[in-house]
Amino acid sequence: MAQSAKPISSPVPDAWYPSLAVLMLAVGLFITASFFIYEATSSRKNRSLAKELVTGAAASVFLGFGSLFLLLASGVYV
Amino acid sequence: MHIFFRRLGSILREKPRLNMEVFVARSRLTLIFSLFALLFLSSSSLSSSTSELQILTAERRIDLASHIIRVVLTLKVQNDEASPASNVLLAFPPAQAKHLALIQAAEVAGKKRKKSLHPLDVKQSNHADGPNGAKLYSISLRNPLSTGGSVSIEVSYVLTQSLEPFPVEISQSESQLVLYRDSALILSPYEIKQQTTVIRTPSTKIESFTRVEPSTQLRTELKYGPYEDQPSFSYSPILVHFENNNPFAVVEELVREIEISHWGNLQVTEHYTLVHNGARHKGGFSRVEYQSRPTISGVASFKHLLVKLPPRVHSVYYRDNIGNISTSHLRTGYSKSELEIEPRYPLLGGWKATFIIGYGLPLEDVLFESDDGKRYLNFSFGCPIAETLVNKIINKVVLPEGSKNPSIVVPFSVERREETSYSYLDIVGRPVVVLEKENVVPEHNVLFQVYYDFHPMSMLAEPLMLTSVFFFLFVAALAYIHMDISIRK
Repeated sequence: MAQSAKPISSPVPDAWYPSLAVLMLAVGLFITASFFIYEATSSRKNRSLAKELVTGAAASVFLGFGSLFLLLASGVYV
Repeated sequence: MHIFFRRLGSILREKPRLNMEVFVARSRLTLIFSLFALLFLSSSSLSSSTSELQILTAERRIDLASHIIRVVLTLKVQNDEASPASNVLLAFPPAQAKHLALIQAAEVAGKKRKKSLHPLDVKQSNHADGPNGAKLYSISLRNPLSTGGSVSIEVSYVLTQSLEPFPVEISQSESQLVLYRDSALILSPYEIKQQTTVIRTPSTKIESFTRVEPSTQLRTELKYGPYEDQPSFSYSPILVHFENNNPFAVVEELVREIEISHWGNLQVTEHYTLVHNGARHKGGFSRVEYQSRPTISGVASFKHLLVKLPPRVHSVYYRDNIGNISTSHLRTGYSKSELEIEPRYPLLGGWKATFIIGYGLPLEDVLFESDDGKRYLNFSFGCPIAETLVNKIINKVVLPEGSKNPSIVVPFSVERREETSYSYLDIVGRPVVVLEKENVVPEHNVLFQVYYDFHPMSMLAEPLMLTSVFFFLFVAALAYIHMDISIRK
């Protein structure tokens, strides 16, 4: 063919999938733990909704990407 | 007496009248017949090519070794008419035209060692059928053939389902004999000055063959010819009855699902329905006899199949409805991988086996980006099992979610339709391009391409979906914590 054939591969190298999965899930669970500790230790008056939402958002991002890489590492190519 | 004479006189007088009527009727008939003949001849000359060509030499080699028949026809065509010719027509009897799987033509340039082949376009001709329903195919020449010029063309075509088992049913210990019907004279819309046909059989055991002088048999080769100065559309039916114990493996339907995942993997799942298409097996099947005397018992059966897969294949599995089939061997290599499979039982005439073969390929081997930004999949079309005929192949290419405008590039005609399939983490579904073809032979194992548009940002849809699920859980936890449902203040 006259056109150049540039092979396409994944944006993240294949070999990194298991390590990335473990790393991201670990960070996500850590932030989840911090979220629930904040909920448990603060009283109704001192709670700040903004801080709760930010912690929740950060935790869900890490958990989401971590679970995606977990699926990819176990062979379920979504 | 005079009554008799009067009767005779009247008869004699009648006779000239009868003769006259008969003569008029007969002349009318001949006139009509000659008109029809003239019309037919003129129409037939109109229906054939606009310039009359003549074939100087024609040689046909028919290879009957396997159940897929391969024929190579070498023609030397000369243009005798005043106008240049741009097409050469080929004729096939209707039975052969129905079973024609593939036809290719090439122009031969140079002689002997320096022979080079330039591929030519072959397609079904728009002309009306020849006599007795002969189907015409038209080869487009590279340069129009000038008056008096000649060109050498090599045509190769593949016929399927053309060997009839005879006897139709055989027992376990019998050999398989098949019939091949063809013509000793090559069917052509042009006159052929000299022609030869050579038929090659897989073994020296030829029960009988029609003798059309001069015809000779030399071990595994039957030679019909040379025949001189045959008019156009001349046909001399012959029958060859010979032994063919090569595996008659036919896949009735092959459904192949090719799933592209942009995260780095191509997953192929193939569903096979395999049948032995030779002489049907009658009587019982004795496993003891089959295993103890392999040279006598079950000579027409087959046990092993060779599946040719691309290199760097991983996660290969071979299973059926019951479960995994462990009788298989995988040999991976640098240029190709070979999977040798053995179904749960040997296949005798008429027996079927269904199984599933699946494997994965790294994405960079099959998915490429073209110059205009479109992505395309480069994959082989036909069945990977060696020397197998597929009655119907259905290739389903599942494109990732968010792909748009799929288009295909296939070297032969296929039927195309679109579907949507739902898989992991799908919201709107994945577009599926379905390509169907009938009568597929190993020569159809060429690469085809499926082009589509895909924005790289669409890959984020999957992790964002997972993130939103987790975020929803956190918001639900927050709502529960902030909600005050105590009865006592």
